[in-house]
Amino acid sequence: MDISRRTLLTGAAALAVPTSSFAGVFQDRPTIKVGLIGCGGRGSGAIRDNLAAEEGAVVYAMADLFEDRVKGCLEGLKKDLPKRVNVGDRTFFGLDAYQKLLASGVDVVILATPPGFRPGHIRAVINAGKHLFTEKPVAVDGPGIRDVIESARLAKEKNLTIVAGTQRRADLAYMECMKRVHDGDIGDILSMNCYWNQGGLWMVPRKDGMTDLEHHVRNWLYYTYLSGDHIVEQHVHNLDVCNWAMRGHPVKAISMGGRQSRVDPAYGHIYDHFATEYEYEGGIKLMSYCRQIDGCAQNVSELIVGSKGRTNANTSIKGEKSWRWEGDRPNPYMLEHRRLYKSIKASEGYNEGVQVAESTLTAIMGRMSAYSGEEVTWEKALNSQVSLMPSNLTMDTPIPVPPVAIPGTTKGAY
Amino acid sequence: MVSLFLSAFLASSQTPTSFEVAFPEYMAKLKMVTIPDGKIVMDGKTTAIKGMSFSQTEVTWDVFDIWALRLDTSVEDQKKDPQSKGVDAVSRPSRPYGVMFTGFGHHGYPAMCMSSLNADMFCEWLSKRTGKKFRVPTVAEWQYACRAGLNSDLMAKDETAWTWENADDVSHKIGIKPANGFGIHDMLGNVAEWAKDSEGKPVVCGGSFKDKTALISSAKIDSFSPKWNDADPQIPKSKWWLANGQHVGLRIVCIQ
Repeated sequence: MDISRRTLLTGAAALAVPTSSFAGVFQDRPTIKVGLIGCGGRGSGAIRDNLAAEEGAVVYAMADLFEDRVKGCLEGLKKDLPKRVNVGDRTFFGLDAYQKLLASGVDVVILATPPGFRPGHIRAVINAGKHLFTEKPVAVDGPGIRDVIESARLAKEKNLTIVAGTQRRADLAYMECMKRVHDGDIGDILSMNCYWNQGGLWMVPRKDGMTDLEHHVRNWLYYTYLSGDHIVEQHVHNLDVCNWAMRGHPVKAISMGGRQSRVDPAYGHIYDHFATEYEYEGGIKLMSYCRQIDGCAQNVSELIVGSKGRTNANTSIKGEKSWRWEGDRPNPYMLEHRRLYKSIKASEGYNEGVQVAESTLTAIMGRMSAYSGEEVTWEKALNSQVSLMPSNLTMDTPIPVPPVAIPGTTKGAY
Repeated sequence: MVSLFLSAFLASSQTPTSFEVAFPEYMAKLKMVTIPDGKIVMDGKTTAIKGMSFSQTEVTWDVFDIWALRLDTSVEDQKKDPQSKGVDAVSRPSRPYGVMFTGFGHHGYPAMCMSSLNADMFCEWLSKRTGKKFRVPTVAEWQYACRAGLNSDLMAKDETAWTWENADDVSHKIGIKPANGFGIHDMLGNVAEWAKDSEGKPVVCGGSFKDKTALISSAKIDSFSPKWNDADPQIPKSKWWLANGQHVGLRIVCIQ
């Protein structure tokens, strides 16, 4: 695959920036050195989108828990984009690989590791003074969210850029539609629905000799301490759109869910479906559904109903001020990286840290309610003392898998 | 642009008969209608078209699901071959990554988002299953069937085709709009349909619900664009599915 910059630039006028120099930012350097932490599927995609967004960028260092992941990703990049790879011997693996990468001279960091590691990694990136593109979600529990909010504050102080992989925020159709919602084109928001209902995803069978950590990280989706459950790691996109429309976050959630179809222990201990009622200020309700079960009706979308119309949040508004998106819609996975570089070049200090932390906590609040069976408020979720990541983690630490949460019975969900 | 004239559509003595491909256990079927021998002129060159059976409608999910979701294989078979490599049979599509079909109807609606490979392999599977020879049409066959012995471009397209103006941004149930002179529905609009050009390159014909009526005609041919799979975050991207290919569907022919 070769990425055609010319093609990718077409129609991206809204985020168009001069591609010339990084004067005043990295003026002594001919190229931008990008470090990739997390070299699995998402990292391999994110680095390509990053390089497509900025022709001055090169991959300079790579880190992952596993050597095979680093090598696989690097080989793919060398094959597809040989002129954009300058990694040398700066490949790192193991639990402290991210620290070695941060000390290797990179300018910009992409975080694409499992979300459970994210708060600590974000803090290290900001402490090291690097600009950050972080995949979503940014945490899996209350302490993690508080940590990320603090890191976002610190980044603001240092004028560092943080862009998050909630790519609908960089989608031109979503951006235009949301502007119209905020301009009052559907009137007052009365209610919302959002969905991420799909089939199952990949699973890597356990092999002899795999430690608990290796097995879990290679199947990170299925362990709450790593993914936050699928309501957090996947449905966060749709919840983020609803928070965007509301320009705020819900005040409480009541959720129900369970693990009905994907019950094999190979799939860890997460649920396979959630249905959550969120309530925002003013009593506005959001009905949120997410499911990962094969062979069922699928739907990934949002619906926002207002007093003067309703919208799917991206391509159409129906009502008093009906509207439809027309025209080109460049790949938002690339545009989010262009947003990153626009901010870096202009020293804008553009910072999505708090925004993505709030959307992540919205999802976490739903999971806490589903697992416990209780109503969970924003304050309860935010101030929760339950930290899911095992402490003093080493590659060999035995990591017991928690039992599947039973609503009304399970304690310690928040 | 290809210029095209249909010069004749006289019934031929060796016209194949119409028939139905039925899957009663899934309550799914696909009706094939006869189209006669004829010829068309494209770019000044006359191409003879041999009579054939043409699917009366776009292939629906009802039929396509049997293939794509392996409804016709047992759970045990699927466990033996979880990656759908098809050791002894035709290899099957991977599971779509993420969700491509949000907001679109399913039962009775055209299948969509399949790659050209997926369309070809569906035909191979259907051929093995039925003992007949199915494939996607050539562009010449497709355009001949579209014009149906008339200048169907003169028909009121807003009455015969689902387009940007009347489709409300989604595909519609097959066969609602009136059929053309060959008894075929939805050639123009709804979903564009895979065909092979004179060099065997896959293209889609006839435009879709995403196209403005004025731009839709029997001569509308779109070549594959990587944008049709922009939203697939996998490296490499799926060879079976087009994450942004909601405008791409399938119609098949049977030659025998």
